[in-house]
Amino acid sequence: MKKDQSSRGFIRCITAFLFCLLLNPSFAQDTFTLSGTVKDASDGEALIGVNVYARDQQVGISTNVYGFYSITLPKGSHRLVVSYVGYHKVEREINLNANITLNLELKAEGNVLEEVIVKAEREDHNVKSMEMSVNKMEMRTIKKMPALLGEVDVIRSIQFLPGVSSVGEGSSGFNVRGGAIDQNLVLLDEAPVYNSSHLMGFFSIFNPDVVKDVKLIKGSIPSVYGGRVSSILDVRMKEGNSKRTEFSGGIGTIFSRFTLEGPLVKEKGSFVVALRRSYIDLLARPFLKDDLKGVKFYFYDFTAKGNYRINDKNTVYLSGYLGRDLFGADFGFDWGNATTTFRWNHVFNNKLFLNTTLFYSNYNYSLDSDLKNKNKEDVFRWNSNILNYSIKPDFTWYLNTRNTITFGGQSILYNFNPGSARVVSGGEGQDIGLNSKKALESAVYIGNEHKITGRLTLNYGLRYSFYDYFGTPLAYIFDESAPAGERKPLRDTLAFSGNESIRKYGYFEPRLAVNISLNRSTSLKIGYNRLAQYIHLLSNTTASSPLDVWTPSTNNIKPQLSDQVALGIFKNFRDNMYETSVEVYYKTLQNQIDYIRNADLLLNPYVEGDLMYGKGRAYGAEFFVKKNKGNLNGWISYTLSRTERKVNGLNNNEWFLSRIDKLHNLSVVSIYDISKKWNIGATFSFMTGTPASFPTTRYIWQGIAIPHNYSDERNTYRIPASHRLDLSATKRNKHALFGRGESEWVFSVYNVYNRRNPFSVYVRQNPDDPSRTEAVRYSVFASVLPSVTYNFKF
Amino acid sequence: MKKLLIFPALLLFCSCEDVISIEVKEEKQQLVVDAWLTDEAQEQQVKLTLSQAYFDQEKPLPALGAEVYVVRQDSTGFRFNDNDNDGVYTYTPRNRNYLRMNERISLYIKYKEEEYYAISELKRVPAIDSLKYQSVTLPIKPEDGPKSGFRAQFYANDFAGEGDTYLVRWYKNDVLQARSSEYTLSYDGGLSPGNKIDGMLFFQPIRMAINSDSRLFVDRDKVTVELHSLPLDAYYFLYQVQAETNNGGIFATPPANIPSNIFNLNPESAEKAVGLFLVSKVSRYTAVIDKNNARPAD
Repeated sequence: MKKDQSSRGFIRCITAFLFCLLLNPSFAQDTFTLSGTVKDASDGEALIGVNVYARDQQVGISTNVYGFYSITLPKGSHRLVVSYVGYHKVEREINLNANITLNLELKAEGNVLEEVIVKAEREDHNVKSMEMSVNKMEMRTIKKMPALLGEVDVIRSIQFLPGVSSVGEGSSGFNVRGGAIDQNLVLLDEAPVYNSSHLMGFFSIFNPDVVKDVKLIKGSIPSVYGGRVSSILDVRMKEGNSKRTEFSGGIGTIFSRFTLEGPLVKEKGSFVVALRRSYIDLLARPFLKDDLKGVKFYFYDFTAKGNYRINDKNTVYLSGYLGRDLFGADFGFDWGNATTTFRWNHVFNNKLFLNTTLFYSNYNYSLDSDLKNKNKEDVFRWNSNILNYSIKPDFTWYLNTRNTITFGGQSILYNFNPGSARVVSGGEGQDIGLNSKKALESAVYIGNEHKITGRLTLNYGLRYSFYDYFGTPLAYIFDESAPAGERKPLRDTLAFSGNESIRKYGYFEPRLAVNISLNRSTSLKIGYNRLAQYIHLLSNTTASSPLDVWTPSTNNIKPQLSDQVALGIFKNFRDNMYETSVEVYYKTLQNQIDYIRNADLLLNPYVEGDLMYGKGRAYGAEFFVKKNKGNLNGWISYTLSRTERKVNGLNNNEWFLSRIDKLHNLSVVSIYDISKKWNIGATFSFMTGTPASFPTTRYIWQGIAIPHNYSDERNTYRIPASHRLDLSATKRNKHALFGRGESEWVFSVYNVYNRRNPFSVYVRQNPDDPSRTEAVRYSVFASVLPSVTYNFKF
Repeated sequence: MKKLLIFPALLLFCSCEDVISIEVKEEKQQLVVDAWLTDEAQEQQVKLTLSQAYFDQEKPLPALGAEVYVVRQDSTGFRFNDNDNDGVYTYTPRNRNYLRMNERISLYIKYKEEEYYAISELKRVPAIDSLKYQSVTLPIKPEDGPKSGFRAQFYANDFAGEGDTYLVRWYKNDVLQARSSEYTLSYDGGLSPGNKIDGMLFFQPIRMAINSDSRLFVDRDKVTVELHSLPLDAYYFLYQVQAETNNGGIFATPPANIPSNIFNLNPESAEKAVGLFLVSKVSRYTAVIDKNNARPAD
């Protein structure tokens, strides 16, 4: 019955879609198409989001992530304006009497001061574009913000944006509009990243030297994206300098970074290789004695990319990423991501662009009790990984000046190996572990950005995602009549052979964005999206740890669904010097995973019996003011929000505050260019403390003071608020080493006024006097952290 | 595992802990049942107290004037008496057989107008075969212990067959190491129910769970190891006691009440008890460290 309804809905949508196309008047005209790519003249990097505008017709288009544009105009001569903030504007007279390919290069504005611009878009992009609930960050802004220990960090920087928060300093990942960290789709050159941090979450895995573009989509998510229910973080890496070979790098407190980039086969392509490695272990080695001498503790990441332009119609890209964290002495523990992505850009004709992405990714971690094999009698070795293979064709069809259609699909084959372990005890060995599981997640989508009038633009789309869980020999059935909140006993085990399907799911995901232009500098935007998520991170700890296990949807775990509506008003002032926006959102979440007390998530075959499912809701208002021009720029963002959950078996089955709820969240980011030589940056943030549960009573059992909450309520208290000021100063030098190239010193201070911001507050028995019970504030960065970084390029 | 993860964080950053004061709601008192019986022929205790406000630093009040019985499956009952009027109800069995293997044992308490009951079961426990120790020198001298000393491990084999749960605790020079972080639980000789190992020599981290990280044993120290069998509900109770009482840091789990196996005979009654009743069979092994018998350091 349900299926019937949704397929009827689908047909209705398609009909409406075709109808919209037919309404379009420009079909009949005598038109030609101008297309091509726009690149940076200095290094040949494709420029994303360059505005290509036909002045007389008053129509324009932005370049896509590969720098490609296509614009259809009537026959005749046109004045074309190509502009990109921070670059010299190009104006061309074009006589269009056939389809033309026009590749352009833009020169960066020479003036250093002018270059310091927070956004690289058409100046009123925020008002004119379809995008709402989207924040873009330029790497050059991120690089000027004060960074923890001087290590420039994409994930930390986006936490200053409206609607984005984290559970505390030092936790991995980020939360968007009340979403959990596993509800963000983090894409690195189109391939998903499962664990976006090094060192338990202190640093993100993105090497800032090779990141080109960062875009966070919090709502009104276009149909091209899917697979996670809260947000998309789309990170694009540099393609490498195609004009000349360049070597750059930096020496910081935690990492050293080196990047080599250059042309590949004369103007036909380019490459970039980048390496980062932490060296706290190398620095510490001389001071370690005896047993500690063998301590290994480091993390690194390696990025290698190449692209090659076969001809005007075909370009191929190959990229690889390898990141690893490792520590241990006798005991070893390591984890990391490895991805390989192959992309092929194909221009069928002036109007149809195709990018096909193939990727392979492997996220794995392992534990070894005895790296040196000293003791063969007692061993514990554990391996776990997630393998992904995916194909993703994405078409863009520049139908006419009023319609840009995107369509395509994606298939991801997952192979989960939640853990296989070898245990040897007293010389006798056993292999333990869990069966591997497979799943195929696929989607097809179509969307259209449709300019209905000069004032009204719609972006409507539909995605249908479907999912098949298979390839594991056993499926478990649990006794659902067990009391809510208790472990569900196993009732039955079903056997499956080979790749027999165990459970299928499918959802229609409608997407809509509306832009109503109220006047030249003001627009009203409305967005709706539904999203489905088929894989989940099982984590019951405040901050996620690298040991947390990703699990597919199964016969017991249902896909998560979210619906979000957002409404925003966007206005620019003083000739786009200031951009402002206010957005409100309301989001509901279904099939949210929670955990029984005592949940056993490690290597437990019956883990599904330890899970509970509930619903969530999040709503809030985001206020944003950004100054784009002048020597002083930056932004102020304030979010007022609420995030709640309702799970049978928790908090007496009533709604309760989610642990990521933040009532107030204020960020101020400012960057000031004093001179060509110096600039300074300052950031301030204030956040309401996270909700917490405290006991009302205690009881003594075998001398242990056990905390107890009489009413069994959850998250009715809050820990104290956090606030922090960070500062940085950058000094540019004329030359790097040996009088060549350029270099800079970056000085930064984290937590300037030395505040002990609480990560959590918990209760315990006093360690020295167990009869006393006390509350403890736990802070992660409890002191001023200064640092110096040296960057060079030649 | 949690400790393991915090290690690199500590190495790099100055995380810190301060004792602060917070205000929590005050709530009603509840009857607390602390009843851990063993199958040994020595005084057995059921301690009844009343719960108190979490930051109330006084000793808990005893629950006086209760009737306490332990009843075997064959309906034989043992009355526990509070002879000293301190809320500690005792009974001294004449021999080890007052509790019987694989049989359900029930506890009955009448306190004020309410009647409570609980059920536990006596499970099997393997013998401890031996206790060995090895010389160890730490890289840095700990504040509260010697730089050189000994680490001990006991040897015992889990029974073949799934579902044996145990608790390991130890005494140093006859002093029980009684903190919640100092006992260790084992499921079929391994670390958790998920680790499906069975019928092997106890896994090394459990065999070595009778050592303090910083306070090494020294020559002539007396070490006593106790291995208790646990019914499954007691295993989960004790598991959660460790989780709830050592729940700091960045990988803390949401605090939750620990389910009790003490029930009011009248399920409609608003009076609910907390605590746990459990019976366990015990194996014990004692050794005195002799430096001449220690295995040399690796």
